[in-house]
Amino acid sequence: MKRTTIAYFIFVLVMGFSPLEAEEESTLFIAFAMTKAQEASSIPTDSGIYLRSEKDNSWHRIGPVIQSMNSLAVDPSAPATIFMACGNGIVRSKDGGETWRMVTGWRESDFLKIAIDPENGDNIYGTSVWGFHLSRDGGESWTSANKGLNEKYCRTIIVDHRNQRRLVLGTGDGIYESRNGGESWTRVRSSPESAILRMDRSLNNPDLWIAGSEGEGVYLSANDGKSWRPVAETLSEANVYGVSLHPENENRMAAGGWSEGLWVSNDGGDSWEDRSSGLPSQNVTAVVFDENHPDRLWVSTFEEGTYYTDDDGKTWKDGDLYGAYVFDLDFVTSAKE
Amino acid sequence: MISPYRLLHFTRCLAVAAILVGSSVNGDDSPPVAEISEADLVHQYRERCDYVIDQTVANTDPNDLTRGSNFTIAANLFRGANLDWARERLRLSNDPPTGAMFWMHPMALLMHVGREELNEDDWAFIRELWRTYFPYRGDTENHWVMYYVSLYLVAEMFPDAGPEAWYNGKSSVEIMADAKEFILDWMRITTSYGQGEYDSPNYIEEYTRPMALLVGWARDPELQQMGKMMMDYILLDYAVENLGGLYGGAHSRLYPRYLLQPGMAHSAAHAWLLWGQGEFSSNGGTLMIAMSGYTPPSILFRIASDRDKAYVHKELKRTRWRFRHAGPNAFEVDGKSTIPVYKYSYVHPDFILGSSQGGLLQPIQQQTWSLVWREENLEGKSNTMFGLQPYSSPIEGTMFFNSDWDTVTDLIARSKVDYDSPDKLEGGSPYEQVFQHEATLIALYNIPEGTRFPLISTLFSRDVNRRVEDESGWIFGQGGPVYIAYRPFAPGEWKPVDWTGLLKGGAGAWFSTGFKELSEGSECLVSYSLKNGYIVEIAPVSAYETYRDFQEAVRALPVEVRLEPTPRVRYTNLDGVKLEAEYGRTPSVDGENVDYSSWKLFDGPFAQAERESQSLEMIYGSERYVLDFKNRSAETSVVESE
Repeated sequence: MKRTTIAYFIFVLVMGFSPLEAEEESTLFIAFAMTKAQEASSIPTDSGIYLRSEKDNSWHRIGPVIQSMNSLAVDPSAPATIFMACGNGIVRSKDGGETWRMVTGWRESDFLKIAIDPENGDNIYGTSVWGFHLSRDGGESWTSANKGLNEKYCRTIIVDHRNQRRLVLGTGDGIYESRNGGESWTRVRSSPESAILRMDRSLNNPDLWIAGSEGEGVYLSANDGKSWRPVAETLSEANVYGVSLHPENENRMAAGGWSEGLWVSNDGGDSWEDRSSGLPSQNVTAVVFDENHPDRLWVSTFEEGTYYTDDDGKTWKDGDLYGAYVFDLDFVTSAKE
Repeated sequence: MISPYRLLHFTRCLAVAAILVGSSVNGDDSPPVAEISEADLVHQYRERCDYVIDQTVANTDPNDLTRGSNFTIAANLFRGANLDWARERLRLSNDPPTGAMFWMHPMALLMHVGREELNEDDWAFIRELWRTYFPYRGDTENHWVMYYVSLYLVAEMFPDAGPEAWYNGKSSVEIMADAKEFILDWMRITTSYGQGEYDSPNYIEEYTRPMALLVGWARDPELQQMGKMMMDYILLDYAVENLGGLYGGAHSRLYPRYLLQPGMAHSAAHAWLLWGQGEFSSNGGTLMIAMSGYTPPSILFRIASDRDKAYVHKELKRTRWRFRHAGPNAFEVDGKSTIPVYKYSYVHPDFILGSSQGGLLQPIQQQTWSLVWREENLEGKSNTMFGLQPYSSPIEGTMFFNSDWDTVTDLIARSKVDYDSPDKLEGGSPYEQVFQHEATLIALYNIPEGTRFPLISTLFSRDVNRRVEDESGWIFGQGGPVYIAYRPFAPGEWKPVDWTGLLKGGAGAWFSTGFKELSEGSECLVSYSLKNGYIVEIAPVSAYETYRDFQEAVRALPVEVRLEPTPRVRYTNLDGVKLEAEYGRTPSVDGENVDYSSWKLFDGPFAQAERESQSLEMIYGSERYVLDFKNRSAETSVVESE
């Protein structure tokens, strides 16, 4: 891991504040805790959020060092505004990472994922172990909004970019939908009944969604999340921590789970093949297709490193971070350098 | 030549020794608890406070810059001693800072007690730490209390500081407002629904430390007053289940060494400082109290010390917040899920037998029931008995922790190394139900097939002497001044308490240190029957002429046990009370079901508090001391004799 100044990433992230005026670029981030060397202690030896530089193919820390950092989000309409989902709460930078401020109070903590309204950066949504939280003022103040939820444990969320009032939430007992910007929730009937660990939506075909669950494997929706069906029978009882849809080819998708390694489908989820023979561990905690290199697929294994393949899993290249327990591996969009 | 400081220290030690010898509350010559004057109590307490501080300073080697915590630095600053060492050690031991709230609170202490001694460079160094080190707020109640109290108190020192001064980008005004709100909310919830991390002989000091900080150094009069009241509240919670420094009853959290030797727990150090019981031991919590200027109300001393009569004391607590798998008994407090914990303790002059209802009440370190008995000298004594079903599961892990199903057990065991072991001595189980009436305890187990560790285990420590496995099915023993009768419902085998094969090389070093000395000679009765249970019957030795008489009396008691389809027992105890318990059903006493719905926050001769009352009444004789958290008031009164 190389250490460079945050200013480098400030440059990357801040160049051109309006996505309408500047060409967009996606940046891979990773949120993790170094747990492998954690012995006789409840504290990981390191933790943080890092960005992957295309220039030197290495990871660079962004933001403060805090134990329990789970995810990152960048305001698409103001790329210098960055949010971190942390155990302490939500930490925000409005200057591309130069300064940071905890924008939540003691009532809001243990955040797992943040989503931002792509049209209105005042609407920020956060999932946490305590429930769903929303802000209508760009993160300055927060409110719990759990009306309709059976379980408050909320793991992941996606804002529908075609209808920003529509939010899709992965909770402790399945997928919920809000049509009013998170004010209330309705459970999606065909959703898995167990915890939703990860969701993704196709960039190419917005009607296509995928979800990984705790104990019920992989679910797919081809009608914009209205109904879901189980796929990947081999993984039907697995805890699936990573799912991803190919950014250009809607027939291509990947899923990874505990003890299950990585599985890929190239026919829209009808058939799945194990692509993990070259990985050092079958315990997969994160999976994502590379938005900048669509044939590239990233996989994080539990404490055995993060890897990527450019040849559909025939060979795997070391993406570093040996010893890490990766909580999130995903892309944030910023203006291009 | 003896330095003036050392001379002063020596004089104080003599004074404390004289006080301890002259007024031992448990000694034969000591005056009745009610007759010791408040002035004497305060005087003796103040001497002990000085002793705690002086001991810490005396144990400082000013030539050794490699040793000395922020507590030690604080004690030296407090006394104005070893200042060059303190200044240098401050820089060495805090570069970089680690430990989050465990760094924050002694640093806050150090800053306050060192106001007069720290120079401009020292302050610049300390301010930079608070600007750059971003501590984690933690994942449990004691973490949060320490975090927000510390943060409040350091921000209060620099009330005009802007967001650039602090790691979290908030101004002092914002920090204080947020932290104060948390602190008052925590007090509201605790005095309404009970503590989540209740009655821990270990973690009591993680609450007394921040309360001491508030008492000693909060400028905000409301927080200082509430801190003092909350300190009284926490100590009362301990005092009513205290036996000469032993914290009896059911506990939320206990480490193995304190399970095996209750006299080693941090609560014992508190009993010495606060009530003059047991022996002095060095402890961060007592050091902080000693420096804070906190003075416990004399009624606490009297409640903690008067053990002339046996009594039943009940408490309502709650579990730690449950993120997931909250279960059908869950209720919400401000949107957070928990379930009630019904505590029952029988406090006898010679012993405390105490229990909770069983189930998963607290992650990892729960002690569902325990027996402790009085010993003259607690050193090396394993004067305890308890039982458990050693349960570990991702259900428990994900219920209480933000972690994944597949990693949570492993990650827990990185620090609590015995968590995933069948040999462990602590932890709750969803397959355990416990019921107690005075000196009788009944535990029932209904363990499903496929459970990770399908067994139950009961400790018979090396200090349970004269053990007899009787043909009647009872096992008899004697622990100090008490006779023990234990009636297992299924056969078991004796296994030594031995962690040799459990501890990984290097891992859990603190857990394993001295374990041979702690455990040698102690055994567990381990039973592998899935439908299981036992009766524990305790009696004071003084109640029987001979050990044989006790055994004969117990043998004659009617016991009817059925294990299928679910364990059930009908039993008449030594007092002739008919007890009936069946797994999954409400137990009964003389045919009347136990009414858990009426359980109060505190319910005993020394303390009364209703649910959601935000108040507590301490009772001793005609004296009443009422903590009213709604009105932020504490009031002593004397009631007319009835």
